[in-house]
Amino acid sequence: MKNARLARHSLRMMSRYKVRTGFMMLGSVIGIAGLTFVIAVGQSAQRKILKTVGQMFGDSGIVIHDGGGQMMGGPHGPGTRLKIDDIAAIAKEVPGIEAWDPMQTITASVRHGDSTDNAAVFGESERWPQVWNRTASRGDLFDETAVTGSARVAIIGETVAKALFGSDDPLGADIQIGSVPFKVIGVLEAWGTDPHGMDRDNEVIVPISTLMRRLTNVDTISAAKLVVTDAGRSDEMKAEMKRILRERHGLTSGQPSDFSIITATEIRRMVAQVQRVLFFYLPLVAVIVLVVGGIVSASLMLASVNERIAEIGLRRAIGARSQDIRLQFLLETTITMLAGGVGGVIFGYAVAQLGATRMHLDGVNPWMAALLGVAASSLVGLLAGVLPALRAARLHPAEALR
Amino acid sequence: MIELKEISKTYKRPTGEPVVALNDVSLHVESGEFVAIVGASGSGKSTLMNILGLLDLPTAGRYSWNGEDVTTLDANRQAEMRNKKIGFIFQSFHLLPRTTALENVELPLLYSDRKSIKDLSRRALDAVNLTDRIHHRPSELSGGQQQRVAIARALVNEPDLLLADEPTGNLDRSSALEIVSTFRSLNRAGRTIVLITHDQEIASFAGRIVKLEGGRMVGDERVTASTAVTQEAQ
Repeated sequence: MKNARLARHSLRMMSRYKVRTGFMMLGSVIGIAGLTFVIAVGQSAQRKILKTVGQMFGDSGIVIHDGGGQMMGGPHGPGTRLKIDDIAAIAKEVPGIEAWDPMQTITASVRHGDSTDNAAVFGESERWPQVWNRTASRGDLFDETAVTGSARVAIIGETVAKALFGSDDPLGADIQIGSVPFKVIGVLEAWGTDPHGMDRDNEVIVPISTLMRRLTNVDTISAAKLVVTDAGRSDEMKAEMKRILRERHGLTSGQPSDFSIITATEIRRMVAQVQRVLFFYLPLVAVIVLVVGGIVSASLMLASVNERIAEIGLRRAIGARSQDIRLQFLLETTITMLAGGVGGVIFGYAVAQLGATRMHLDGVNPWMAALLGVAASSLVGLLAGVLPALRAARLHPAEALR
Repeated sequence: MIELKEISKTYKRPTGEPVVALNDVSLHVESGEFVAIVGASGSGKSTLMNILGLLDLPTAGRYSWNGEDVTTLDANRQAEMRNKKIGFIFQSFHLLPRTTALENVELPLLYSDRKSIKDLSRRALDAVNLTDRIHHRPSELSGGQQQRVAIARALVNEPDLLLADEPTGNLDRSSALEIVSTFRSLNRAGRTIVLITHDQEIASFAGRIVKLEGGRMVGDERVTASTAVTQEAQ
């Protein structure tokens, strides 16, 4: 009864100092918002990179890309001369290859009736589900006969399905890729966007022979992925593959390779580097933001407590016990920091969501940041708000009143 | 009612050298008395007030209240005594800013178990003629009015002893006389009052004047009714 009355009184007192309370909250809002944003986006970006890399390379993948030069994203050398036979030769000569899948891709317009969609069309072998670890969520996949017979069958992504068919069932329907008619036999398992912002559901998978003969009319492939049985040997295997390919392409020792080979092991090294940034530098930035916000709140609180030592003295003089003063300041600080913390989490989450949408990330999860932020602001409140007040409450009232 | 026996208080300067603020002071105040404690600044009167009000503890001597030694009470019991038995009035009013007169007067009741806080506070403000100012904030009141709010706050818990430390120090002459007349009528109604002041004229409203000098008591005299009445007439 008495404590409840004192609590109500404390709240009323706080509301008299809206600007002061507001700025204290703001310090913690900014700190926690920064923390929430950085951690949420960082975690989400990391998940996305790992997912993409995982799907592309798995534990034991090796990807051969046409054109030389740098790894992913770098400029490709002139002339694409990578052929299915090259990969077949590698698979035959290098021991320890479990499965492989050649790939060629174009961007084409896909039509059904009046609906059109621009999609990435991938030609693959019947082994792609196993090699790329992707599958259809509805309908069927194509088999070896479809590849040898250049069947005009397609597995479409969810985005394509939605664009062409809306809510209708696409299975068994006829579509046109470019001007060639295909039959939809399956729908790809949904994937989302990759770190480059590509919608991985805006894809169509067709047999590679069909794509090469009917859509592009080329005899080269753009890439191939090989799954090896022993990832530990991937460095030697890469060297062996390189030797075979250079020999088949008739390259002399001075000429650069017209292909590039990346192994899962190399990618893991790169990912580890990226993770170091995400694990170390992002939290560092977040902590700096948090510390700055904390200092703002703390200095305001300290100033406020000093300003209020006379008030504490008066309250003591008229009969407040130390624990009554403690209750008041604990309550004030808790409410300020909690409101600041919750505000910060909401604000940071909103900004993180906005950023995530722009960066094509999904599933921003602020819980870790929220916990950390609220813990940090509680600590600031305790050190800068409650402790000095408790010190003042323990003084003889005469000293506090002076 | 209250008795100080051979009370001394020694402070330590930050340099470590001791300062004797009160030296062997003995004082007995009976219920219903109006005592003025006078002295120049540095005479130890504020220290005496702090000890009387249990705001500070003496370094030596015994302070008893109706026979009970109060200096040995624990901090919470002392807080309770301040809350229930003593009403404080300070030179600088010590009202909470941004807080109405009524809420300021409520404060001591918040730390007690009393009920119907609003009614008691209203009544205390009525008693100091501030009925029409209860929702004003200190910044909207004159100095005299602010001190009357402080008096209402000191009275709201019906204390046995009213302790006023230079209550007129921040006021102009007419407000000061008004405040001290309020004390006089409170005393006539039976309230025990100890008033600390350096102003002889203000002190002459009391029934008894205790003089301090350099931490020692150097005088204790009763004021005759006639001088007091003359003072009031002015």
